[in-house]
Amino acid sequence: MYNKEFEEIFAYANGKVDDIEILLVSNDNFSVRIHEQEIEAFNYSDEKGLGIRIIKDGKVGYAYTEKFDSETFRKIVDKALENSKFTVNDEVPIMENYPDIPKKPNVFSDELEKVGIDKKVEFAKNLEKYAKEFDKRIFNVPYAMMGSGKTYSKIANSKGLNKEDIQNYAYSYAGVLAGEKDDKRMGMDFIISRNFRDFDAKKLAEESCRKALDLLGGQQIESGKYPIVFNNEMMATLLATFSGIFSAKTVYEGKSLLKGKINELIANEKVTIIDDALHPDGLSTQAFDSEGYPAQTTVLVDKGKLVSYLHNTETARKFGVKSTGNGSRGYKSSLTVSPTNFFLKAGNLKENELFGKRNRIIEIVSLQGMHSGANAISGDFSLSAEGFLWENGIRKYSLKPFTISGNILQLLHDVEAIADNFRFNMSSVGAASTLIKELTVAG
Amino acid sequence: MIDNSLISTVLNRALSNGADFAEIFVENTSNSLIYFNDNKIKQNIFGIDFGVGIRVFYGLTAIYAYTNDLSEKSLLATADAVSKAAKGNSSLKSLDLTVRKIDNLHHYKIPNDTVSKEKKIDFIKEINEASRSYHQNITQVDVSLSEKNQKVLIANSEGLLAEDERNYTRVMVNSVASSGNEKQTGNVGPGALAGYEFIESLNPAELGKETARIAITMLNADYAPSGKFPVVIDNGFGGVIFHEACGHALETTSVAKGASVFAGKLGKKIANECVTAIDDGTIPNKWGSENIDDEGLPTQKTVLIKDGILNSYMIDKLGGMKMNLKPTGSGRRQSYKFAPASRMRNTYIAAGPHKLEDLIKSIKYGIYAKKMGGGSVLPGTGNFNFAVAEGYMIRDGKIAEPVRGATLIGNGAEALLKISMVADNLALAEGMCGSVSGSIPTTVGQPAIKIDEIIVGGRK
Repeated sequence: MYNKEFEEIFAYANGKVDDIEILLVSNDNFSVRIHEQEIEAFNYSDEKGLGIRIIKDGKVGYAYTEKFDSETFRKIVDKALENSKFTVNDEVPIMENYPDIPKKPNVFSDELEKVGIDKKVEFAKNLEKYAKEFDKRIFNVPYAMMGSGKTYSKIANSKGLNKEDIQNYAYSYAGVLAGEKDDKRMGMDFIISRNFRDFDAKKLAEESCRKALDLLGGQQIESGKYPIVFNNEMMATLLATFSGIFSAKTVYEGKSLLKGKINELIANEKVTIIDDALHPDGLSTQAFDSEGYPAQTTVLVDKGKLVSYLHNTETARKFGVKSTGNGSRGYKSSLTVSPTNFFLKAGNLKENELFGKRNRIIEIVSLQGMHSGANAISGDFSLSAEGFLWENGIRKYSLKPFTISGNILQLLHDVEAIADNFRFNMSSVGAASTLIKELTVAG
Repeated sequence: MIDNSLISTVLNRALSNGADFAEIFVENTSNSLIYFNDNKIKQNIFGIDFGVGIRVFYGLTAIYAYTNDLSEKSLLATADAVSKAAKGNSSLKSLDLTVRKIDNLHHYKIPNDTVSKEKKIDFIKEINEASRSYHQNITQVDVSLSEKNQKVLIANSEGLLAEDERNYTRVMVNSVASSGNEKQTGNVGPGALAGYEFIESLNPAELGKETARIAITMLNADYAPSGKFPVVIDNGFGGVIFHEACGHALETTSVAKGASVFAGKLGKKIANECVTAIDDGTIPNKWGSENIDDEGLPTQKTVLIKDGILNSYMIDKLGGMKMNLKPTGSGRRQSYKFAPASRMRNTYIAAGPHKLEDLIKSIKYGIYAKKMGGGSVLPGTGNFNFAVAEGYMIRDGKIAEPVRGATLIGNGAEALLKISMVADNLALAEGMCGSVSGSIPTTVGQPAIKIDEIIVGGRK
């Protein structure tokens, strides 16, 4: 697909630039949201865009367009060339024709493509219906959503690289409000998968409702230091917030806490953190990254020891290592480093066993304010949280919203136990419930 | 951008399955970003965002689709996609399009692409140098200059046809101070609905110094205490508290379906009587201003809360239909990729009678939040959180030592009633607000306010 457009751009750029790479992404997306059994929102899109990256005299220039015609193609090549004159690179970037991995991961489901819109709408309607029926304290279901997407991407460069990929997925999301007296709580859960059989509306509805209902009637927690269990989802949320510290680009820019710490213990020995672009259950599974570099599995923290950063080919050259296949860019953005399926390896305890390890434990089941209350550079966080107080292995009562504060590196050192209930979140970051020695709590 | 007869054809096709309303939104935007870091220009991207979104209503059901392909064939296919998503009984035809004349409130003087890149880079470098020379512990400075020119055309089956051009210019500065393993940051991000004259009105050295000052102050600060305290939140970006705690819950997006703590409260007291709050899209060249909203209606100045009484919600077309209220010109969206929704513009608490010093003096032990970071809210519960970017202790009515790492949490409905004093130093500050219809430019603002009690999540 799009061979004509690519050839046209290559032909125009030929002779003007030293090297050029074209990245094209095209998406077909669908989503439906139901409220009071009516379609509240129904969105459908067919979008595409392409971004070019050029090298001229050892300098890089970028430009993109969503308008596909010859005049605009010429304009973006000229703009990228002009932009390149002003950029300063630490390393002269190189484009190559990278090899393929031996076996491409399976990221497309023909069966999922056959699921019609009617079925998806029906699923979202059922989701709301089951939630409303579950308990009379569920007074509103603001989010009963079902969506799906298909992404085609193509990357080619003037060194002969030419790769394409097509992926699809579906997701559903339920957000419910439970109320009792003056107390209102929200419960949310999701499914994201390539297999339509994973979509169970009743189970998803009930799980969201249970989360909201359990939190009702919260008591105030006395401020102080407490042992903390993050449930699997919230441990993943926290990990996702600070995943940038593993990027070699962040390290190089002097904005990572992990600078100069390769081969040092940065976490408790129970902690192993992996980025796995080939994980069969991840939604960020890919055969190659945004430079066309082959995907791989990279251990970042091995039993507490930092063994690698995440790299693209540019950072890899700065550090004198090989790329880990984490080059990332959308057609609108420039090359950076991002995790793929990024996770804290599960332990072997049952979740319930974690709560027996201390007399009093606060369980965190919801976190807010990740984009403002967490400082990725200092590692400090102070976040709004919801959860429960446990005493002697028994869940005593829910808590009114409170804050937890700490530092991510200290937290990684303070990991005391990890359960086996591993789960990926909607952005392919995974974890199991985790017991932390202590954090400061204010309520 | 697109021929009027084609617009009518597309609108009629979108109505053809019995829809009650059809709308088309065409966008052609050019974006330019210069990103400077590590003493160098690291990125320099130019791009064109281009596409069209078509929306139809069947009763209160909204169907939306978009495409980047503006050929007649593609537009008709997209119109078919929305019309076939539901079935209605209406036999409506699109009315003749009448161009809506727009009073341009936001003229800009210097188109950004007429200014040389060298000049822009000099401006950026001056910021960098001022920050780095402020203190030896400033170890990194990021500056980004973003310039965006958005041209939109909106037409609907009621005969509306309107066009607007929005030219945005913004500079963001982030300085990092380091000492040993400690790292702290300071940032500012002034922006305007204006051309390059906005950059020329700024003092680059001041921007560099200010971010460095915050980072260094916070580097030397101890952790904030945790617990419940009285708090003074100063002007400008402090207005993020109102934005998060109340603003989102006053958008019809959440109110219309009862998923807001302020649903059903029009005419009722929801805040202390010292609080008057306004959402105003008409302030000339302000970051959150517009001539028309993304549904083609003229923007307005909307009084949300008057002396503590809820006066108006922020209302888009669909929200207005659901609630039987007139739209307030608040339908906004990031781009053609989003259906419009009711959103904030320039939202602020009006000035009060007190001086900042009076607020501080009234507190024996508490927190002075001089500068706020961002925050978020769940409109359904009203529970909000936001971060203090630059904070100090208040001891015996005086501003004392700096403290860091505090997040303030509370409930919007409760916090509004606990605002007990409002100062006279109203100021506004620019930000980006993310919600259902994407990330859009909004301004927050307030004079200094005193909240009698709020949970402070410190580390001590």
